[in-house]
Amino acid sequence: MNIIMDGKEVAADPGQTIIEVARRNGVYIPTLCHVPALEPAAMCRVCTVELAEGRRTRLVTACNYPLRGDAEIHTDTPILRQGRKLLIELLAARCSDSKTLRELAERYGADLDRFPAENKDCIMCGLCARVCERVGGNVLALCGRGVEISVDTSFGRLSPTCIGCAACAQICPVQTIRIEDVEGERRVIVRGKEASRVPLRRCTSCGVHFGPVIDLSQVMKRAGEAGVLAFNTSVCPACSRRNLAKRLAERHLEQYQGDAHTKDEED
Amino acid sequence: MPESEVTCCQEPEVDFVVLDRIIRDEFGGRREAMIMMMQSIQRHYRHLPEPALYYLSQVLSVPLTKIYEVATFYASFSLVPKGKHILHVCTGTACHLKGSGGMVRHVVGKLGIEPGGTTPDMKLTLETVNCLGACAVSPVVVFDDKYHPQATVGLLNEFIEKVNAE
Amino acid sequence: MATATSTAPDLAWTKRLSSPQELAPYRQALIAGTDPNALCIRVCCGTGCKAVGSLDVLEAMKKAVDAAGVDLKVMPEVKRTGCHGFCSRGPLLTLQPQGLFYQRVKPEDAAEIIQKTSIGGEVIPRFLYKPPDAKETIAKVRDIPFFAKQTKLVLKRVGQIDPFDIRDAIAQGAYAGLVKVLTEMTSQQVIEEIKISRLRGRGGAGFPTGVKWESCASQTGRHYVICNGDEGDPGAFMDASVMEGDPHAVLEGMAIAAYAMGSDRGFMYVRMEYPLAVQTLTAAIRQAEDLGLLGQNILGTDFSFRVSISTGAGAFVCGESSALMSSLEGKVGRPRAKYIRSTEKGFRDSPSNLNNVETYANVPEIILRGGQWYTSYGTERSAGTKVFSLTGNVHNVGLVEVPMGTSLREIVFGIGGGIPNRKQLKAVQTGGPSGGCIPIPSKFIDINVGFGKLAEIGSMMGSGGMIVMDENTCMVEISRYFINFLVEESCGQCTPCREGLTRMREILTRITQGKGREGDIELLEEIGKFTNSFSLCGLGTSAANPVISTIKYFREEYDAHVRDKKCPAGVCKPLYYYEIDPEKCTGCGVCRKRCPAAAIEGEKKKPHTIHQELCIKCMECYRNCKFDSIKIM
Repeated sequence: MNIIMDGKEVAADPGQTIIEVARRNGVYIPTLCHVPALEPAAMCRVCTVELAEGRRTRLVTACNYPLRGDAEIHTDTPILRQGRKLLIELLAARCSDSKTLRELAERYGADLDRFPAENKDCIMCGLCARVCERVGGNVLALCGRGVEISVDTSFGRLSPTCIGCAACAQICPVQTIRIEDVEGERRVIVRGKEASRVPLRRCTSCGVHFGPVIDLSQVMKRAGEAGVLAFNTSVCPACSRRNLAKRLAERHLEQYQGDAHTKDEED
Repeated sequence: MPESEVTCCQEPEVDFVVLDRIIRDEFGGRREAMIMMMQSIQRHYRHLPEPALYYLSQVLSVPLTKIYEVATFYASFSLVPKGKHILHVCTGTACHLKGSGGMVRHVVGKLGIEPGGTTPDMKLTLETVNCLGACAVSPVVVFDDKYHPQATVGLLNEFIEKVNAE
Repeated sequence: MATATSTAPDLAWTKRLSSPQELAPYRQALIAGTDPNALCIRVCCGTGCKAVGSLDVLEAMKKAVDAAGVDLKVMPEVKRTGCHGFCSRGPLLTLQPQGLFYQRVKPEDAAEIIQKTSIGGEVIPRFLYKPPDAKETIAKVRDIPFFAKQTKLVLKRVGQIDPFDIRDAIAQGAYAGLVKVLTEMTSQQVIEEIKISRLRGRGGAGFPTGVKWESCASQTGRHYVICNGDEGDPGAFMDASVMEGDPHAVLEGMAIAAYAMGSDRGFMYVRMEYPLAVQTLTAAIRQAEDLGLLGQNILGTDFSFRVSISTGAGAFVCGESSALMSSLEGKVGRPRAKYIRSTEKGFRDSPSNLNNVETYANVPEIILRGGQWYTSYGTERSAGTKVFSLTGNVHNVGLVEVPMGTSLREIVFGIGGGIPNRKQLKAVQTGGPSGGCIPIPSKFIDINVGFGKLAEIGSMMGSGGMIVMDENTCMVEISRYFINFLVEESCGQCTPCREGLTRMREILTRITQGKGREGDIELLEEIGKFTNSFSLCGLGTSAANPVISTIKYFREEYDAHVRDKKCPAGVCKPLYYYEIDPEKCTGCGVCRKRCPAAAIEGEKKKPHTIHQELCIKCMECYRNCKFDSIKIM
């Protein structure tokens, strides 16, 4: 199929989304709620582009539109720039202090103070809840509806199902989720409120806390015996590496010393 | 996880026989019927008790977060107990043009509760509803499942007095 | 709301029909068993009349018949029916065979009606309808303009039959279309017939139904036939009336669709605010299954189609097709992108055909009389009829079915009876929260209803809600009302709808409170254009329509609010103030004494003044001034 993006012919496979094609061909399309590892949600709308298929031109989101035939796409028209500008201004009211938004604001000439700040510290991209569901923690949910929608745990309580993977903190575009490892416990704090507490494992070798306690029965379900073998350790990565290096060195030394003996005998 | 740190559910016990009847008998344990199961549970308990939703999560093998999302998304679900009497004021367009907004404000002012809220003595819950389909006789209010056409502030005061006298 | 309980008669004596050929003789037997000249009283028990106590009237009529104790052959049958349509006149009933129409009937009138009219053949004047500004009453249904000017295709059995007794529907033709399809047509032929009829979706979008069926039928996978009964537009009750008054029309339409698509499974999604519709549909499905007209091996053929009912739980957005399907799966009703059509991957990721209640209800007649016949109604672009719910400031509030292409003038004045209280017609709002307001009077009063014309001028026909507004309606307040509705019903997923509509609501609220600022109207237009283009679903992409259309057609009203802080319609209370006319004021001091805010100052027998900053606008002075010297400004 013949895909033209911003006037240039680009390589594309049928079924690929517009954003996949763009990234493949080095074309920039801004995103906020999109991460290739997760199913696209098309919630933020910032990746909206202009698409002409046949005689029809319309606005579609690049993250989830599958290209199945010839098409012409424009990623940076005045309407799109205007829309993205307003989008960022609206989001800035929800989340006033964000590097991601500041960078986008500069690119599209948005005024971050246009609308009165509401300080919800969240751009409602849904990534934290989506990745949490995908990982299987099922801690965070998009609760409520409309303007009341917010990220929260079930009943607002500390969630007992968290596995402490910290994917939520890593994925949040505006760094609103904090992980605090303190006193042998990992605390996940979402927008200033604790979502979960997971006990940390203590290294039997050096005494440092090095990761959440893992429910091996869950690992067994998903990754079988091999997984259990990999995770069933009471020694932190640093000590583990040190131990391995020590064993390798000892074995090498044994061989070396063995060779030395043999040499003596020959003489 | 330290037990004492998990803020415990304050709800009273639920009757699992009732829940099983709803989940398994009435709806065959079908995941897709979850919303209707929750409606049945709410009819029985006049709200959605937390333990009931925990149980539902286990029986249907659905993460609790998904159930909580459904409970907070649909306007008819309530996680807190409703009052003994429920007053619905229709705020559809035809009713709005005949002053339903003023009637809601009147009740809000008189009882000090917002739509969706319940009086502290748990006697009365005020709800708004978006069009009951009785537009010809607007404004319409429903008090304890009984429809009242061409309602007035006077009628609302009657309901409030009746409830207070109980 | 009440639970779904069946009040249907026990049909245990009914034998299950075991072949398509058995339906016609069965119908004949039913018709033979009823005398067309028999006395029959049909009491309207649609939601509107129920709200004014029609069930009590029904009971009273039945008791009166029993109490009269005359020979059964002479005694009238008292039947509950669905909505007759003349909702502002309820409780109402019709008397056959005279064809009389009685309005505003009370339970205590029952005995008199039975004695005088049914037995004595006398017409009782006080129950007769009188048109506004007319001297004479009209006794017969067929002479009343409200009924006479309508063309009832979809509604032809609504108000005639008892929705809780399938035999009534069958006697009047129900399931004849399904039999024809099973005995004479292939699935392809069924789809062709629908395409010939040019039937377009009645839920608002107007997508050609035949094309949708064809596209769905061509997909591989298990097919689902789904009916959208989530009529959420406030002020619209067309679908409610069809589901409550003639559920079999919809079920038959779904079964025919299922046949056309090779589907064996159907769902009726009904909003929970319609408990009566859930009851009638539950009874209808059960009775149809008992007779072999739905379920496994319909009429003994190898075509099976099982329908079940799913209820909504209070979310307007679930009227959107992908949100509806999500809700059917027991999940939150969040719409998804429709880049892959639901006819390809919808419910359970399978090919799904979703149509509106009214769309399905049109299908059986199209099959029986042919698609060509259907195109004899309506226009080139919009074939057939449309059911409207006419509400607001109009004499005849109710349910109206007219051919597409009928003018607004005919609907509002000819059928609707015009505007009460000698007020002027100001605007007509169509299409619910996705539609627009059409200003009247102007050339627009003669605009024809249909899929094209209204959209051209910035409104849309929508699902059929039609709200008539008189001169005391503030268009700014109306657009605030609709935006507020949509803010509350937004699913909240996408930024433009969630944030953009909220900002618009803020601005409109300020304007109606007299706190409008320079640039507000332009900002509304900017955000409105943005939400209309960038939102994820139809709710968001049409949300700004009421605002944009009212700004376009009623700009002076917006300017008056923002610039002059005035509400010309006299609706937005914070924008009034009161002033004492010094020429008329006699200085009697009554207002000064009555003012609860001590805001009026003046010496005895000298003109008084009101201190605006203290005035709380309670109107005590205005109500009590005997000299008409207080003006509302």
